[in-house]
Amino acid sequence: METKATPDSLQTLWSLRRGEHCAIVGYDDLLAEAYKVRMMEFGFYPGEAVSCLQSPGFGAPKVYRVNNTIYSLDDEIADHILVEPFTA
Amino acid sequence: MTRVLLIGSPNSGKSLLFNRLTGLSQKVANFPGITVDVASGKLQGLRDVDLVDFPGTYSLKAISAEEKVAVAQFEKALEDVEVEHVLCVIDATRLEKSLFFTLQVIRECERHGKPVTVLANMIDVLEANDLSIDLLALEAAIYTRVLPISARSGKGLAEISEQISATRLKETPLQRPHLTDTPDELLRGTAHQLAQRLGPRGDVLVRTQNRLDGFFLHSLTGGVAFFGIMYLLFQSIFTWSTPAMDAIESSLAWIADAIVPLIGNSIIRDFTADALFSGIGAFLVFVPQIFVLTFVIGLLEDSGYMARATLICHKPLRFFGLTGKSFVPMLSGVACAIPGIYAARAVDSPRKRLLTYVAIPLMPCSARLPVYALLIAAFIPADTFLGGLIGWQGLAMFGIYFFGMLTALIVTGLLSRVRKEQFDDLPFVLELPPYRLPGVKPLLRNAFNRAKHFVLKAGKIIFVVTLVVWVLGYFPNYGADLGQSWLGTLGRIIEPLFAPLGLDWRYGVAILTSFLAREVFVGTLGTIFGIEGAEENMVPLVEQIQSSDLTVASGLALLVFFAIALQCVSTLAVLAKEGRSSSLPLKMFAAYFVLAYAASFAVYQVASLLSL
Repeated sequence: METKATPDSLQTLWSLRRGEHCAIVGYDDLLAEAYKVRMMEFGFYPGEAVSCLQSPGFGAPKVYRVNNTIYSLDDEIADHILVEPFTA
Repeated sequence: MTRVLLIGSPNSGKSLLFNRLTGLSQKVANFPGITVDVASGKLQGLRDVDLVDFPGTYSLKAISAEEKVAVAQFEKALEDVEVEHVLCVIDATRLEKSLFFTLQVIRECERHGKPVTVLANMIDVLEANDLSIDLLALEAAIYTRVLPISARSGKGLAEISEQISATRLKETPLQRPHLTDTPDELLRGTAHQLAQRLGPRGDVLVRTQNRLDGFFLHSLTGGVAFFGIMYLLFQSIFTWSTPAMDAIESSLAWIADAIVPLIGNSIIRDFTADALFSGIGAFLVFVPQIFVLTFVIGLLEDSGYMARATLICHKPLRFFGLTGKSFVPMLSGVACAIPGIYAARAVDSPRKRLLTYVAIPLMPCSARLPVYALLIAAFIPADTFLGGLIGWQGLAMFGIYFFGMLTALIVTGLLSRVRKEQFDDLPFVLELPPYRLPGVKPLLRNAFNRAKHFVLKAGKIIFVVTLVVWVLGYFPNYGADLGQSWLGTLGRIIEPLFAPLGLDWRYGVAILTSFLAREVFVGTLGTIFGIEGAEENMVPLVEQIQSSDLTVASGLALLVFFAIALQCVSTLAVLAKEGRSSSLPLKMFAAYFVLAYAASFAVYQVASLLSL
């Protein structure tokens, strides 16, 4: 059974590795407001579960699943999304 | 005549639906943001109705200037009394992606008193995977009719015009305004809850997609697949188009041979042979490349692979201010800048699309090849080493190709770091569409339309410039001697400009005529040196240049000049049309001329110091 990690283990979505899951906590202040709104329109709401499906090599954008939609995000965005990883 | 608006988020199948409903061939692609223009066509089943296809957008709260234009166009259209209905397309397989936007559309329609119908597309995909959405509950929750449809199979499409007719006759219960004053924040929450409650359960679609992504995005297998597919793309432009290009050239030559001798007046005869047929040939010859490239890119987009290719090359290109979506346009530019510029439509960020436009003309296109071949044969020794494996001429050809690509990246890298705030950008968030089998018919129609667009729009500009250059080269001595023509005079006037590169008026004239197409440089020099058919057999021309007083330093300077200068009227014409700006090609032409001149001057000086 999965349990949520403690708040002090907050990390960014970019740090998630392939096969790992997390819940979105929010966005940091460095991300422009318009981008935050757009990310929420894509489904990246606080509280939403996100999985990292693919983590291609050489720093390429990673592939995330939110609900039934799959997005590729690069670190310029994913590094500003704060998440709480699920631990086994 | 009334209008019905078609709107939806990117990748919801809206463009394919538009084609099915109108019989027209709007661009259809399995790639987000493919619709750039507002297209319209007669709605089949209701011939008094124009269906208007709006650009796909994720939200009515725009964040880029281009999105703002699209949203403003939509809101303006809602005020039009001739607009009788709005159709909002959603992807039924991914309800949470579309519902917020749908609620925004419903709210705007309520505010303007326009009826709206939601079209739940890709219902066939859900059925094929034993999935479903609760349509009745969705209808009840949003007080709006929701029709299950499949743009691909045609299922449910007949009901769309029936629904519009029924709304006209008030035979359907009017939707109850309930969102008029609801702010976006509440709409977002409502959309999220509805998607969670009514959306398809199960992740069979995602699992299939992820298995294929495991292969195509893997560091090893993904890399091999990427290079293999891009090799095929490159071959398609270079090799597969060649027979059709040759056929166009020989057909035009055959028609010209049949018609020209019948013309008595010598000026009209020369005009028909050299201006009319050459002018038409100058742009018709690009049509096969545009057709083939558009078709192959369409295949990649529709299959879903293009989004993966974009992801793979995003990181290295980002360093130079570009995006992964710039890769295919730039690769296409190695064959020819024109299809490359068309391919740049897929770059959704306006800033990065502009930078992609800037990069493409620097890619070493095939028209540069005859110029490089001539200059390298004339000035680089044919010596080989390592047992004949490597030769100086081969190295020079590789070097000048690499120089063009490197210059493109350096220019975009520098530009992207200068006055960044002036550009309009979007973050890199790429929706990865499911893998699908592409439909060939819409792809062929789209390729045909793109080629037609080129002939009708850019062809006019190319033709006019060709005529101007012909007049300058023909008069006042009626084509007897290019050197004594107005063009020759112009060459002598600009001689001081090229003298610092060690070039005389003959090369000035050849540079002027190469503005029509770079390879014309070779033919013009052949004419000036009195050599027939220099394009086919360069050897006599190479010998003439070698025996003239042109130094190696000047030859190298010319090579560098042609690697950078934007000497192509066709490219400039397409840039003006695609960039929707008459100043953009002029600025790029001027900037690249200055850069080309400065770089070739530097090369000439260094080479002269080395006594080359």
